[in-house]
Amino acid sequence: MKNPESILNIDNLEIGYSLKKEQKNILFKDINLSAKSGELIALIGKNGIGKSTLLRNIAGLQEPLAGRISFYNKLLRKYKRSEFARLVSFVSTEIVRVNNLKVFDLVALGRFPHTNWMGKLQTEDIVRSNDAIGMVGMKSYLNKNVDEISDGERQRVMIARTLAQDTKIIVLDEPTAFLDLPNKFEIVHLLNKLSKEENKTIIFSTHDLNTAIHEADKVWLMLDDKVIEGAPEDLILNDQFNELFKDSTLNFDKTKGDFRMKRAQREKIGLSGEGLHYNWTKKALERLDYKVLKDNQEITNIKIEFGNENCKWILNIENNEFVFKSIYDLSLYLKSQTKF
Amino acid sequence: MISKNRILFLWISLSVILILLFVFDVFLGSVNIPVKEVFRVIFTGEADRPEYLTIIYKFRIPKAITALFAGFALSVSGLQMQTIFRNPLAGPYVLGISAGASLGVAILVMGISSFTIVSQVGAIGNWMIVISAWLGSGLILFLILVVSLRVKDIMTILILGIMFGSATSAIVSILQYFSNESMLKAFIVWTMGSLGGVSLSQLNVLIPSVIIGLTITFLSIKMLNAMLVGENYAKSMGLNVRMSRFLIFFSTSLLAGSVTAFCGPIGFIGIAVPHIARIIFKTANHNTLLPGSMLVGGIVLLLSDIISQIPGKENTLPINSITALVGIPIVIWIIIKNEKLSRVS
Repeated sequence: MKNPESILNIDNLEIGYSLKKEQKNILFKDINLSAKSGELIALIGKNGIGKSTLLRNIAGLQEPLAGRISFYNKLLRKYKRSEFARLVSFVSTEIVRVNNLKVFDLVALGRFPHTNWMGKLQTEDIVRSNDAIGMVGMKSYLNKNVDEISDGERQRVMIARTLAQDTKIIVLDEPTAFLDLPNKFEIVHLLNKLSKEENKTIIFSTHDLNTAIHEADKVWLMLDDKVIEGAPEDLILNDQFNELFKDSTLNFDKTKGDFRMKRAQREKIGLSGEGLHYNWTKKALERLDYKVLKDNQEITNIKIEFGNENCKWILNIENNEFVFKSIYDLSLYLKSQTKF
Repeated sequence: MISKNRILFLWISLSVILILLFVFDVFLGSVNIPVKEVFRVIFTGEADRPEYLTIIYKFRIPKAITALFAGFALSVSGLQMQTIFRNPLAGPYVLGISAGASLGVAILVMGISSFTIVSQVGAIGNWMIVISAWLGSGLILFLILVVSLRVKDIMTILILGIMFGSATSAIVSILQYFSNESMLKAFIVWTMGSLGGVSLSQLNVLIPSVIIGLTITFLSIKMLNAMLVGENYAKSMGLNVRMSRFLIFFSTSLLAGSVTAFCGPIGFIGIAVPHIARIIFKTANHNTLLPGSMLVGGIVLLLSDIISQIPGKENTLPINSITALVGIPIVIWIIIKNEKLSRVS
């Protein structure tokens, strides 16, 4: 089977800032990436590594130092300004707070490349703007002022603006940066939905690996010396996420797909039980720096017993049994026993 | 939501107020002319006393027209500055653009010693004054633009604007110090220049300049709307940022420069009027805000002119003081309302 063509190709790109004369400040070089139609792509990397710069280059807001960015096999700089604005739209980290600017008016600004020189909205522009607002679930906010809505709502409105702009590709710089946890998930999920239902190619940078792993079709991972791309699952299996954190105190858990602090596991402890209770008890014990051995009853061990209604934790230390009603009580006891 | 009917009602009532104030302004003046006589002069061109004709045609109507056009020009230039700097406190006076225009005129009047000749050439002299005012205001705008490309913090830009304004005032003072008596007098008369000091031949320069400036602004409505969300977004939507900024600065210099050239520096109209228009129309869309600011600007300046005529007295108060007294409370209100101002960017 033949793979679908990439609509965005980045070849040997060098990004950064040109300084005076011939000098340049290179942030990153040898970037080779691609994007296909309808893909949701998460750009992940450390702070200051050049994620924003890369996105600004892709969105045509900044010139590459070297290398090529092409859409549909045509170089970015060969596109006319208005033509490009109908191909790629952009959401920056900048917070738009304008007094008296209505949600509808902000979204309708996205029609900019489609309206005439007077900017007069035709019926189609109004319909498309309204549809865009509907797609991000902000219908009832049409006439609210953008400076009076929450950060999550504003981010939806900014996404609606890109939908009104009606571009094949949407580039977003940290769209979830200021949002609380449910909003982070909802925004990324919305992007996922838009990429599938509207067949858009959406590229967003994020620090939130969890949402990226759950929702993105592809990850562009910016490591210290190279950029790699692949399905998040591929990067997990190839141990590449761990490279992101090699200097930090975090470890990537390949089985669970999340992160935890690297811990010095001092003491071994046995644990017998099943299901959710087993998993969460194990997690609690690991937080207390124990190395958990399943069903080992030779050493100090805990048995989880399910009664009629309640569950209890039986701790066995050198044949003395202690019974606890909750993980909290158990952990309090274990802490009190720990001698440093 | 403001319904279409309400918007229509606003347009009609503002227009009616503007027309009424314009008529009222023609009726008022230091010489008491009976209402009946004013109508007679306007409709038949005759009057009981010949001086009535002179007063109405040579002074009152030009003055009212000046107030109208100065109000349009200053408020629109203020609106453009606020949009392009994304700052509610921007305006031609605050950013030193009016001061720049003064500098241009000062250099012309006092720096070029042949001013007495210039002033006698009439129409050409008027054009020279207005062109030097444009150049002066354009220079300051250019400086602010250069700074705003490097400095992103809007408060810093405002303070720099004030500094530029003070610096130009200082240069003007130095010019005054080295000028001879007749040049000095010519310049002082200009700085005190009021709406009433604009002659018919000057109106022939002022009106076309303002109309050209306003036309450019109306053609820039789409760009101004895109600029609302900042230059990055504007660029990502396909706006030619450099070209639009040039156009907007060009029309601002034209508008603020022309008015300053003939009426002297009039403060606080440019900063306050766009806010009044925003309060009335509850929108940031320049489709509405631009004509709205024009109407309100005309109203406020006509009203200020009416207030400046003390009934029964021969003297009029300086127009600049009236606009300051009208505008400053509004500016204070904006500052208090926008305590998070510096975070706007």
